[in-house]
Amino acid sequence: MRDAFAAALTEAAARDERLCLVLADLGVGVFDDFERLAPERIFNAGIAEQAMVGVAAGLAQAGRRAVAYSIAPFIASRAHDQVRVDVAAGAANVTLVGVGGGVAYGYLGLTHHAIEDLATMRAMPNMTVLAPCDPADARGATLAALSLDGPVYLRLGKNGEPPLLAPGTSFRIGRATRVRHGRDLTLASTGPILASAIGAAELLARDGIDAAVLHLGTVKPLDTDAIDEALADTGMILTVEEHSVIGGLGGAIAEHAAQTGAGRVVRAGFPDRFVHEVGGRDHILARHGLDAAGVAARALSALGVEPPRSSPVGAGGLR
Amino acid sequence: MRPAGSEQQAFEIRRLSLELALGAGTCHIGSSLGIADVLAVLFFEVMPVDPDLPGAPLRDTFILSKAHAGSALLSALALRGTIDRAQLEREYCRDGGAFGGHAERGTPGVEISGGSLGHGLPIAVGRAIADRLDSRHRRTYCLMGDGETDEGSVWEAAAMAGRLGLDRLVAIVDANGHQGLDRKLADDHWERLASRFEATSWEVTEIDGHDHAALRHALRGGEGRPRCVLAHTVKGKGLPFMEGRFDSHYRSLRPHDRERALTALEQARVAA
Ligand SMILES: Cc1ncc(C[n+]2csc(CCOP(=O)(O)OP(=O)(O)O)c2C)c(N)n1
Ligand SMILES: [Mg+2]
Repeated sequence: MRDAFAAALTEAAARDERLCLVLADLGVGVFDDFERLAPERIFNAGIAEQAMVGVAAGLAQAGRRAVAYSIAPFIASRAHDQVRVDVAAGAANVTLVGVGGGVAYGYLGLTHHAIEDLATMRAMPNMTVLAPCDPADARGATLAALSLDGPVYLRLGKNGEPPLLAPGTSFRIGRATRVRHGRDLTLASTGPILASAIGAAELLARDGIDAAVLHLGTVKPLDTDAIDEALADTGMILTVEEHSVIGGLGGAIAEHAAQTGAGRVVRAGFPDRFVHEVGGRDHILARHGLDAAGVAARALSALGVEPPRSSPVGAGGLR
Repeated sequence: MRPAGSEQQAFEIRRLSLELALGAGTCHIGSSLGIADVLAVLFFEVMPVDPDLPGAPLRDTFILSKAHAGSALLSALALRGTIDRAQLEREYCRDGGAFGGHAERGTPGVEISGGSLGHGLPIAVGRAIADRLDSRHRRTYCLMGDGETDEGSVWEAAAMAGRLGLDRLVAIVDANGHQGLDRKLADDHWERLASRFEATSWEVTEIDGHDHAALRHALRGGEGRPRCVLAHTVKGKGLPFMEGRFDSHYRSLRPHDRERALTALEQARVAA
């Protein structure tokens, strides 16, 4: 996803001479094409994320469009006040790019995990929050962010994510993508963890449960039409996200459903505690029931279905 | 039996850090090798209550702010017996293991959950203030990267320490001239860095960060003001094919590099 983002960014920079990139001592080899294209439009603030975001806001105030890039928590947490006051309140044309959203930096531990970023970014007025799921989606999200007026938080995974969406799927801000039709419940996810939702739907199908899958590449503004439709069609949404259960996609959908009173929302995500487990992303996801089997098990329990002993889900037991 | 001297301990820290990196396939090895001498002098000579007593408790507080060199700290702790060496080798950066790529508070001997640069010095200032309040006669050491001093929080804390005259606070800057993105340093880069500390009422000592006698002297240092030890080091020190190389930050060693890496480390020691 990172390379797809960088390629789209360079394309946009070729078309838009105002576009500048501000770094904080990260991104070795990622921006070589941009560097070749427009070295005078790349600035390295050093290991100084607050300055990076402030500088991006200043460039935007002066009529430029700026992209700031770092590991997700160093954008969303470290530079939070600059994001809030200078970028969000200033409605600046700044795209904040957080790489390694969720637990993509597994072994590097909690300082490198971002599992509250969707909540804090979503709570900020003016902020658009995007979390594409695969390289093509990341490309679409990047181009959409760079032609939008106003601030965007773009949450990426790392690199090497498999393609998940059908080729040619277009990215539209505020529009969810239906990945799979189903009658019994809807698995709604955001970001690369869509892979777990799709895998869970396949496992559930073997148990005779027909799960729909919805990808929300935009967390804010929420595609409420898609949510309403999913609740009307299937009665229940199980949200699947690489984020705390507080305030992210699950929070957003639950808030909306509480207002309309339609259907039931169950949230799968990280519980309200820091992830202290040591491990790679897959390990950490599995430990929190966020791999395909864990999500499927969660769906069964939400539906009140006892997993058949023969089922691959049942073999793993309810988590 | 008297514990081995700091030179021997530095070699052991390097070898164990290397074993950890090889075992887990992790990066940041250059950052760890470069600080082995600083850690050896601190953990085996300067900080123990009685350096002649194996495993003697530490009198002082040590904060590794450049925590991406966590494998070196964990190695030093294992060599002192603070944590179990076999467990460290088995579980470092393994799924379900006890030790991640950045050491976390909760592991014995690890004071802060590191990994976000620029956090160590403010915490060290707080620890030094608490020691002063409680009349505890110990020093607080905080080891930072030179790149890390880009962070504003470093200078906010430095100004406060200077203002309070925290004379038992020692900041060590691992001056290897490398950080995340390659960049060319100005000729007077180190003088300028030193003068930034001096401008906030710190005393600055510049030394060769691989010279144990110089480290011993500087780290025990005089009193009256907070002290910055600008320790010039070579990133990747001890492993010739990594030394002074920018990519020693990112390259991870694989099991098939094992023979070559351990042999190179051994040969470099004999040559030194
Ligand atoms: C707040 C923050 N920003 C960025 C990073 C990513 N990062 C990890 S190590 C590093 C370079 C550190 O350079 P330096 O402090 O000189 O340490 P060295 O590797 O040379 O020992 C960077 C930018 C981080 N860990 N924390
Ligand atoms: Mg450095």
